[in-house]
Amino acid sequence: MFTMLRRRAVSSVIPLLVVVLGVFFLARLTGDPANLYLPLSATPEMRAEFAARNGLDDPLLAQFGDYLGQVAHLDFGESLRTAQPAGEAVLRAFPATLQLAGWTMLLAILGAVVIGSLAAYRPNSATDRVASFLSSTAASVPDFWFAIMGVLVFAVTLGWLPTSGTSGAAAWVLPVVTLLIRPFGVLVQVVRGAMVSALSAPYVKVARSKGASESRVVFGHALRNAAAPALTVAGDLAVGLVNGAVVVETIFGWPGIGKLMIDSVLQRDFAVLQAAVLLTALVIFALNILVDICHALLDPRVRQQAAA
Amino acid sequence: MLPKDDVLRRDVEKDVKGGESGPGSGTDGAKGAVVRAKWPALLLQDRFAFAAALVLLLVALCAVLGPLLIGDLATRQNLRDPSRPPFSLDDGWAYVLGSDSLGRPVAARLITAAGTTLSVAVPAVLVSLVVGSVWGMWAGYHGGWRENVSLRIADVILSFPSLLLAVVVLYVFSPSAANIVLVLAVARIPVYLRTARAEAAELRSRLFIDAARTFGTSGWSTIRRHVAPTVLPTLLTVAALDFCFVMLTESSLSFLGIGIQPPDVSWGLMVAQGRQELQSAWWIALFPGLAIVITTVSATVLAAWARLSTDPGQRWRRGLRRRGRRPQPTPTTAQEAEVEPTRAVPAGRTAEPGPAASETRAEPTLAEAPPTTPDTLAVDGLSVSVRTPAGSLPVVRGVSFGVRSGETLALLGESGCGKSMTAHAVAGLLDPAAEVVGGQARLEGEDLLALGARARRRLAGPGLAIVFQDALSALNPVHTVGAQLAEPFRIHERMSRRAARAKAVELMERVGIPEARSRADAYPHQFSGGMRQRLLIAMAVALRPKVLLADEPTTALDVTVQAQIMDLLRELRSEQQMALVLITHDLGLVAEHADRVAVMYAGTVVETGPVAEVFGKPNHPYTRGLLDSVPAEQHKGSRLSSIPGGPPDPRSVPSGCAFRTRCPMARDLCATQRPQLAETGTDRAAACHFGKELADA
Repeated sequence: MFTMLRRRAVSSVIPLLVVVLGVFFLARLTGDPANLYLPLSATPEMRAEFAARNGLDDPLLAQFGDYLGQVAHLDFGESLRTAQPAGEAVLRAFPATLQLAGWTMLLAILGAVVIGSLAAYRPNSATDRVASFLSSTAASVPDFWFAIMGVLVFAVTLGWLPTSGTSGAAAWVLPVVTLLIRPFGVLVQVVRGAMVSALSAPYVKVARSKGASESRVVFGHALRNAAAPALTVAGDLAVGLVNGAVVVETIFGWPGIGKLMIDSVLQRDFAVLQAAVLLTALVIFALNILVDICHALLDPRVRQQAAA
Repeated sequence: MLPKDDVLRRDVEKDVKGGESGPGSGTDGAKGAVVRAKWPALLLQDRFAFAAALVLLLVALCAVLGPLLIGDLATRQNLRDPSRPPFSLDDGWAYVLGSDSLGRPVAARLITAAGTTLSVAVPAVLVSLVVGSVWGMWAGYHGGWRENVSLRIADVILSFPSLLLAVVVLYVFSPSAANIVLVLAVARIPVYLRTARAEAAELRSRLFIDAARTFGTSGWSTIRRHVAPTVLPTLLTVAALDFCFVMLTESSLSFLGIGIQPPDVSWGLMVAQGRQELQSAWWIALFPGLAIVITTVSATVLAAWARLSTDPGQRWRRGLRRRGRRPQPTPTTAQEAEVEPTRAVPAGRTAEPGPAASETRAEPTLAEAPPTTPDTLAVDGLSVSVRTPAGSLPVVRGVSFGVRSGETLALLGESGCGKSMTAHAVAGLLDPAAEVVGGQARLEGEDLLALGARARRRLAGPGLAIVFQDALSALNPVHTVGAQLAEPFRIHERMSRRAARAKAVELMERVGIPEARSRADAYPHQFSGGMRQRLLIAMAVALRPKVLLADEPTTALDVTVQAQIMDLLRELRSEQQMALVLITHDLGLVAEHADRVAVMYAGTVVETGPVAEVFGKPNHPYTRGLLDSVPAEQHKGSRLSSIPGGPPDPRSVPSGCAFRTRCPMARDLCATQRPQLAETGTDRAAACHFGKELADA
């Protein structure tokens, strides 16, 4: 188990390093990083001062060394807008996004397991066809539009829900539902597919031949086998949730990392953007390891491979 | 109507062929070509997919012809009369969807935006499709470090949220249509790379690529000729789904203000604009969003359709959708109608052993002809059909046999003759596509096929149990074998976990698993094939069933293990006084282990009797042919004969006698009249017009 985790951790460090490297080079790709860090209206004096302060006149390798040192200390420089350390701003915004994404994934997985299993239990039944159609529609709805229509109907017209903010349970409804809709649609289809193949597997027939009740067949035998592919996709979707978070947080004024990123793009605050991107990469790295642990818990074959 | 039926029929041909060669056939080289030739006809059959194709065509037309039709209407402002609500038809159709705050007609902007949206999405998808699939095929075909490095790169790109990637890149470089295309293409290349690599790697391991290599064909031409045609249908399906993704990402970017920039217009940008005026003019945001939803849903539907049409393993589902509602389809062809009379065919074994039986067997029920030793399991006229797009296909056509306690009956036949289907029907384990359409299966007089689900479950285990062929897939990989062996006791005898486990260990010891106590906590994959089969048998006999169906229990095992398993089955049979039905294609196994045999051909029993007698003097030409094709001591030196031709396809079983096309004795009568299973001697019967002659010869 630990061998596997160590190996997995080592292999996922590579993408992480690539991101760190990528951000470093992107910052220098446009020629003068001052273009990125300073507002467009910066005077030549400001630029020269900036270059000297940040060691931009050092050789590239030395710059990279400095940069790695800064990253290791979560020191990403100061935000242009607030003049606060960029790392702090990102860490402050992070919990809001984590809560939003956590609830979303939890609800999406629970809902998808229930609906996907129902659909898979009788393939091509009316339930299955309705579930398939709705889930494929849900998977292709643009979240930003869905959010706006939600605001239009439930906030503007009916006045049931607030248009933005994080206070009170009502404020959570629209952001969570918006963020949820696409992962939910995809997951329903994945769970359905995995359950259909699990339910037609010979071991399910064997379970039936032992006189197992249908609930025992579905929950005791099929579901755990279907969980592995669903888990893999759920992991990918959780990574993709960052995409949705950018949109949803912008629309609902959610003080999370997604809104922070878009704001820093629009206001050309590269220090904050860089910090946010690196922290996101780190979270994705942790998430992948979490998914691996879940896989090992679910499937003894994975455990054995891990031990070998 | 006629041509449509014709297409349908040809579809099925492909279906069934694909189905036979198993899931691996999803990559058959010929497949792509066949689908390509017929896809317009196929598309017409599926109304959903057809509508989706029409929508996409319409969007494409708007994109291409839009500028010609509407000119600069999309940018023409009308500040005197802004924000008109939809359906204002005073000035013609231009304002049918209303206008925005600058008075520009929404409908015209939608059409113009379709062009922008497609001009980003289509190139992005094409670039990633071409680069990704060529790269993937190259990596998969060569393997080794090229494969590893390529996959690593794909992992890196995919492990990073694509929108974030786009945001960062578009921050550094200015947001222009070309940059968006580039970012989206790079973000999606891994998807094609992975798919193409997986398929190419699978092909690499196949024989025909090896053959191409030995002939010295160069790598690229092999890829072009052998790999590309096979991989392409899958990749196109992926591309259709990817189109949605790219479109959604582009509109998200435009919505966030870092995608398409005004004065250009895209659907995402229109939604962003509409958001500013949500309270006063809801239509500005509504329609572009709907356009996105309808286009992406159409692409999804079309992709799903393409997947179904190119994957023969999936296609039967489409048939189900249309015809699945009728549980008992009426026979439409002459062949199907012929099944009817056979329902009256008596049990394969003479109920009353003796010469007089021949007459009384016409209408056999247990009540009328009380046998001396009643059959524990009596199957009578069992018919099973499989639903296909072309209708109901009879695969088991009136099978009758009986088996007593302590006796082994072999159900012998080639693969595809319906013997496993028979067993599964009796055990109530048919796949959803198959259904029992007639006959009975009486377990100690009680018709299993007429029982409700609950009553059935009560008998599953203590009444009737089944041993499957492939023990690895028949054992649940995620549960310990101890838990699986304990399950029958937990279900039927409501034992405590601890007591059931003790029973499970006992069972494992009984079937000869060493160190049973500690091995009970192991998982199926930690056992050898023979041990797994023992476990499966242990599970089946746990509750001392009256009848044990063993479906090819030794096929997957090597010969020495085979013998051990058969010995175990034999011991258990006498120990528990079970009736054992041994389903097999192995004549040797039958000769050695069975008391009686029922030979099956094309979904029906053609001959029954005691093994020694049937093998000694077959009363059916098929049985004779089977026996002649086995090398034996007495035939040494003579030429080994085989039955000409192959077993018939369930869709085109010859009229009359199913065997007549391969039968050396066939005459005119055989083509018109289907022979019934009839007495040919003591405890023997054959379904041949000349069975009696063969018996007396």
